[in-house]
Amino acid sequence: MGAITDVDYRERWELKDFLIGQRLERRILLIHVLLALVLVAFLFNFWYLQGVKGVEYARLAEGNTMRKIPLKPTRGWIYDRDGQVIAATRPSLDLLVRQEQVDDLPRMLDDLAPILTASPRDLADVLRGEPDFEPVVVGRDVGLLQLAWIESRRERFPAIEIRETARRFYPEAAIIAHTIGYVGQVNENQLRADKGRLKSGDIVGKSGVERAFDDDLRGDRGWHLVSVNAVGRQVGETRVGQEASHGNRMQLTIDLDLQRALVEGLGVETGAGVFLDPWTGEVLAIASTPHFDPNRFADGFDRASWEKLQTDPRRPLHDRSIASFYAPGSTFKVVMAAAGLETGIIGEDDRVYCNGSATYYKRRRLCWKRGGHGWVNIRKALAESCNVYFYELGQKLGIEKIHDFGDRFGLGRLTGVGLSGEEAGILGNSEWKRKHRGEQWYPGDTISVSIGQGLLAVTPMQMARMIGGVATNGKLPTPTLVLGSQKLEPIGLRPTTLRLLRAGLADAVSRGTATRATDGTFTVAGKTGTAQVYKHSAGIDADKLPKAERDHAWFVGYAPADKPRIAFAIVVENGGHGGTIAAPIARSVLEIFFSSERPDPASRAGVGRSPSPVHEPATTVR
Amino acid sequence: MNPQRPFASLDLPLIGTTVALIAVGVLSIASATFGSGQSGLWKMQLLWLMVALIAALVIVLVDYRVWAEVALAMHGVVIALLVAVLFFGREVGGNRSWLDFGPMRLQPSELAKWTTCLVLAVYLARRVRGGMGLRQLVEIGLLVGAPVGLISLQPDMGTALTFIPILMVGLLIGGIRWRVMFGLAIVAMLMTPIAWTQLRPYQKERILTVFDAERDPHRIGYQVRQSKIAIGSGQIVGSGPFNGTQSQLNFLPAQHTDFVLSVFAEEWGFVGASAVLGLFYYLFYRCILAARSAQDRLGTYVCLLVVAWITGQMVINIGMVLGRLPTIGVPLPLVSYGGSALIAALSGIALVVNVRSRRFVN
Repeated sequence: MGAITDVDYRERWELKDFLIGQRLERRILLIHVLLALVLVAFLFNFWYLQGVKGVEYARLAEGNTMRKIPLKPTRGWIYDRDGQVIAATRPSLDLLVRQEQVDDLPRMLDDLAPILTASPRDLADVLRGEPDFEPVVVGRDVGLLQLAWIESRRERFPAIEIRETARRFYPEAAIIAHTIGYVGQVNENQLRADKGRLKSGDIVGKSGVERAFDDDLRGDRGWHLVSVNAVGRQVGETRVGQEASHGNRMQLTIDLDLQRALVEGLGVETGAGVFLDPWTGEVLAIASTPHFDPNRFADGFDRASWEKLQTDPRRPLHDRSIASFYAPGSTFKVVMAAAGLETGIIGEDDRVYCNGSATYYKRRRLCWKRGGHGWVNIRKALAESCNVYFYELGQKLGIEKIHDFGDRFGLGRLTGVGLSGEEAGILGNSEWKRKHRGEQWYPGDTISVSIGQGLLAVTPMQMARMIGGVATNGKLPTPTLVLGSQKLEPIGLRPTTLRLLRAGLADAVSRGTATRATDGTFTVAGKTGTAQVYKHSAGIDADKLPKAERDHAWFVGYAPADKPRIAFAIVVENGGHGGTIAAPIARSVLEIFFSSERPDPASRAGVGRSPSPVHEPATTVR
Repeated sequence: MNPQRPFASLDLPLIGTTVALIAVGVLSIASATFGSGQSGLWKMQLLWLMVALIAALVIVLVDYRVWAEVALAMHGVVIALLVAVLFFGREVGGNRSWLDFGPMRLQPSELAKWTTCLVLAVYLARRVRGGMGLRQLVEIGLLVGAPVGLISLQPDMGTALTFIPILMVGLLIGGIRWRVMFGLAIVAMLMTPIAWTQLRPYQKERILTVFDAERDPHRIGYQVRQSKIAIGSGQIVGSGPFNGTQSQLNFLPAQHTDFVLSVFAEEWGFVGASAVLGLFYYLFYRCILAARSAQDRLGTYVCLLVVAWITGQMVINIGMVLGRLPTIGVPLPLVSYGGSALIAALSGIALVVNVRSRRFVN
């Protein structure tokens, strides 16, 4: 190759190199500018976060590190009218394990299980999935003996902690289970219904008084602030945010002495009883049997015993005093008599001849007394519970008038006692039957209702209230469990009506169907009733029937007969005759009520006699 | 390099900047892990630094043109390692990225960044003299695409994405025509919807979080939100070293790795954050100087590609820490904890130092 071409060739490359170099310079500059722009943008972004919003983020950071630790309030105690404790909150000791401090977990669980009467597997299940540093409850309400056993072998259980908690405690256990109810952890529905105040894990009333007055009893949580790290481990001091405000104490109208007598009287029978002060509506004793031990609910049931409770055919969880309804049987004759007298359809001396049966609308109706009562007037009809008299009266009254008076006595509607689960019962008339059964009302239905059968169902609470209305000479009390509230509804009865009613009811006890209601030291007025379970039982001696086929026995009344201070209703399922089985139960309660040692109940009620607050725990449970 | 005074021509400002950034890293790692079970991690990082320094020294001592001769071979070895990691790799956090070498655990994908820069520079210097044609594009695509594809299979999408700045800068300085560049950009954009359908739900979630910061603050958004709280609560001067509550109390996840800058920004405030940005800018600037003063085109390309890698990854990481980019798990070069990444980054800087120290023709 020649020299000139050689030079040309190199120069061309150099020119090209120069042009490439120019382009490279431009592109480096472009990259440089782009990066500078990005970095300036970052700088502004940092300035925005740290300069402009810095304070706000610092506050967020503070919130990140502080965690609210709830302080549980102590649930208010519940007392009876004399200051005897019905429900208490007692300190109890829980056993906790902090897993991060355990070297050999399986061995420790093997050691621990026998003393907690649990299996090591169960304990391992409890611990599984919980954070290592968080103490986990492995034993609730641990006894002192168990604690002593563990403490004396402390070196084997370095990771065990003991924590004091508040536990609801019912010293009377099952005596007043249904009405007081029980407590448990709040569930989803309650959380949703009560916005704000309740938090998951709170203990709330689940039934009875515990539920009805939960807002009052529960109190409000407080909280502590602790600083925690991202996984929730406490890393700093505890700061007090707000102390818990404890639940209010509550005094009920219940008289535990009467309550115990009532429950003992009911004994093994299935049934219910309500005793109240007719002048105020204050419920003095209220029971439903069979019952359950509300203390069991504090710990949570094991599945077996819960299922046993749930599937027991006698339904121990069911509150028969307000939620079961029974045919009132002859006790309804009180309402019938009031209706008859008040409307003027019968007079004091109007008489009906009872020969043991009567036929209405081609159907023969029996009186309970074979051979009949002979001539009966209203007073004798009530005292001896003559069916024929009331068949006759019912036919003359018609269902609408009967319904009207039933309603005046508070039947077929809630009593206003304010407990959840209360049932209104049934007070039938033609409208009711059309609506609920889709059938017309037959005149024969009225005849059944006249003796408290048929389309008629009442709760013991309603019957206590009804007879209380007679005891107060025509003012229907509103049952209440809270001291000091009283509401009376006028029934609208004339004094003559009431006088005859009360005379008939007094006769029933002194020489009629319910002579077993008194030991003679006090007077009782009342009415027995027999709610038919099977049609064929009418006119057959109840004692000869098998238990399950016997009628339900009623006894409603008040005492003393002349100046009533207490009214009551008792029902015993499959008890047979009210006079035989229900009246002695009333008598056992009334004996306590009237026993000479006891001061007048009215003067014992109220705040002045409340117990000293020394009993109440001052401890805050965390 | 002058054999008599081997360190006289070293770029001391660049080395100083690098050391400063590594110091920021070690300090923040120590603070972030202080009092936790990993409190010794900063010592590990120092140990890695020793290894990295030896590597850097070896790289500086040997002329970069010699490294260029073995670049393709080294790239091949790294690609082989990337294949091996798919079969024998240790899985950490869902990605199979690590190879165990006795007590050391190596991340071949970090080394791949270094070899990719070198091999790409060699290719541009030797094969792209006459302009960027289709053949060149395909070959560059193969050189970069091989490690990127293998890394995507791990699947470490974050690391795979850090190759994009390297590729783009490589194309730009290689002299690609703007028309072609835009054409490629349009093709990439058209591919986006297809790529979207290939993403996993959590990846989509991370991308959406960028546009809606309050989206799902307890899961994906949590990290970004905690990062912002940490940075913001540092305010102007910061809470002081070892005193950032967010990072000290472990609210900030991945605080010693991807989110190490949040820790530093909390403890040193806006002042500290600006300083880190300044250091990165100065590092970039020194590398550009090295590129322009290089004796040959190869040196220029090496410097530019290394700085594209380091600053590109820095931009992605800080964008992520600030919640401007999806949380894709890209560490902050030189600063975040990680042995392989430190060795690779320092080796990259060593190449730049190498080029600059040999800028004068003998």
